[in-house]
Amino acid sequence: MSAPTTTAPLAAGRRRPRLRRGALTMMALIAPSILLLVLINAYPLFVAALQSVRDGSLIADGSFIGLQNYADALSSPRFWKSAGVTLVFTLLGVFGSWAIGLALALLLRLRTPGRSVFRVLLLLPWVVPVVVSSTSWNFLVGTPDSLAPTLARLLGLGEVYFLADPFMAAVTVCVFKVWISFPFMLLMCSSALSSVDTTVYEAAGMDGASRWQQFSQITLPLISRSTYISWILMAIFCVNDFPTIYLLTGGGPVDSTTSLVVLAYRTVFQDMRTGPGVAIAFLMTLVLVVVSTVLYRQIRKADVA
Amino acid sequence: MSTTALPRTAAAPARPAVAVRITARDREQRGQWWRFAALSAISFVVLLPILATVLLSLRPAATSATTSWLTLENFTTVLTRTDVLVWLMNSLGVALATVAVSVIVAAPAGYVLSRGRGRAVASYSLLLFVIQSLPVITAVIPLFVLFARLGLADNLLGLTIVYVSSTLAVATWMMAAYFDSIPSALEEAAWVDGCSVFGSFLRIVLRNSLPGILSTAIFAFLLAWNDYLVALVFLRSSNVFTLPIGLQTFFQQNATDWGPVMAVSVIMLLPPALVFAVLNKYFSVGGIGGALAGR
Repeated sequence: MSAPTTTAPLAAGRRRPRLRRGALTMMALIAPSILLLVLINAYPLFVAALQSVRDGSLIADGSFIGLQNYADALSSPRFWKSAGVTLVFTLLGVFGSWAIGLALALLLRLRTPGRSVFRVLLLLPWVVPVVVSSTSWNFLVGTPDSLAPTLARLLGLGEVYFLADPFMAAVTVCVFKVWISFPFMLLMCSSALSSVDTTVYEAAGMDGASRWQQFSQITLPLISRSTYISWILMAIFCVNDFPTIYLLTGGGPVDSTTSLVVLAYRTVFQDMRTGPGVAIAFLMTLVLVVVSTVLYRQIRKADVA
Repeated sequence: MSTTALPRTAAAPARPAVAVRITARDREQRGQWWRFAALSAISFVVLLPILATVLLSLRPAATSATTSWLTLENFTTVLTRTDVLVWLMNSLGVALATVAVSVIVAAPAGYVLSRGRGRAVASYSLLLFVIQSLPVITAVIPLFVLFARLGLADNLLGLTIVYVSSTLAVATWMMAAYFDSIPSALEEAAWVDGCSVFGSFLRIVLRNSLPGILSTAIFAFLLAWNDYLVALVFLRSSNVFTLPIGLQTFFQQNATDWGPVMAVSVIMLLPPALVFAVLNKYFSVGGIGGALAGR
């Protein structure tokens, strides 16, 4: 298309047979990817759909019971409690990590000695394997002698059981999630901020806009699309997150941190009931497919813009 | 005020301007050091769990004969007296195999997504995206049943296959996004010269895509190295454990001996930290998304 006009007829004339050969090559190039997608993603999802309408276990297929597993899930208080845990975990995870990520991204834009070193250091929680970070968090908050409970005692807050008290365990899991996730938001915000034209601020400053006005009236609207995408991506990660919760609390105490994924895992691998577990996972999936399709449209729009 | 501020400069005409600039710079410099202090404090708090891990791994055991504050004995203990070396090799093998296969599958598929046009390509791209955002647990349960029948369940090959399939969507997208930045006029010129589509993909596109390939490789490595859920479901025997599962076996019912646990933790966090420190400019936001989703 962008070829000079003199070669255009030649290219067009040659392209017709090439395109057919090209199409074959294209198919050959994408074949391995399609094969994997069908065998390892699509086929298991199909089997999972079948399992969800049966009362089987990991070893026995069980018999067809229709939508009973879905009905059971939707009528069980435990399911709705987990849905609530998932919702709170997701909301706090998304907005907590976003607020911290954005604040740090703004801070790191300003000239500071060792800025690039800080940037690398602050991104570290994201690269550390979650098994490792949950281990160290366990060490820091897990027992009454740990650092965090000792600090709470010194501050006059009394005995705080970070993982044994149902409410505090839920709080701790959310804080842990924010700690793991803010680097992602820091990166997303940094890349969004770097695309903002700084002359806008000079103009606004001359017009007498305060720092806060500049932030809320200029910065936030200008990075809104990227912000929106990062929220939905993070929401998907939070809903799907298993190890962050499972490694820190195992879903306890008394189910206070059992999210839907943890509930699905425990139903299948601890209660040995495949059908109900998969049904729970599918109900989550339904919500996620809607969310991710909406997101996909948004990303496409952002590409065009 | 220009006279009091600058008795030592000789450049008379520039005096007023320089004086103003110096006070502004002073304020700016003070601000810089405040920010430096704030960022140091924040980094300390944020990195406290990681610092604790590293320090504890170097602390001598209570029963130790050494009198020094720091020692590597936790590392020598776990490497020589436990299965950690085997798990390390398993983790490395699975992660590197995942990297190799992911790049080999994702690069050509990404090329098709980047250069191909039409409904089929668009719907494949959407399909990849939707499947990628599904909970891993949905696919893992039937895969476990299927792999158990094929003898791939308690097996590193099976684990690698699952990891490759989890990287599929994001890796393909990362490669496609990179290929988008390579002008197709280069390829068109090669076609005119008689090069085949596959030839131009190999010689022109792929050869100029090292940064894209690196980011995809890093993403695949992190996903395989950090995964816990799939390994937890699939692996049953100690000789095929990867490090995340192996680390869990160190926790005793009541008293945990933190030294060895933290030594294994440090062994586990070194490769990603090194990759990150050396290659952090190849870390792209898209890849981060996928790596997090894999947790």
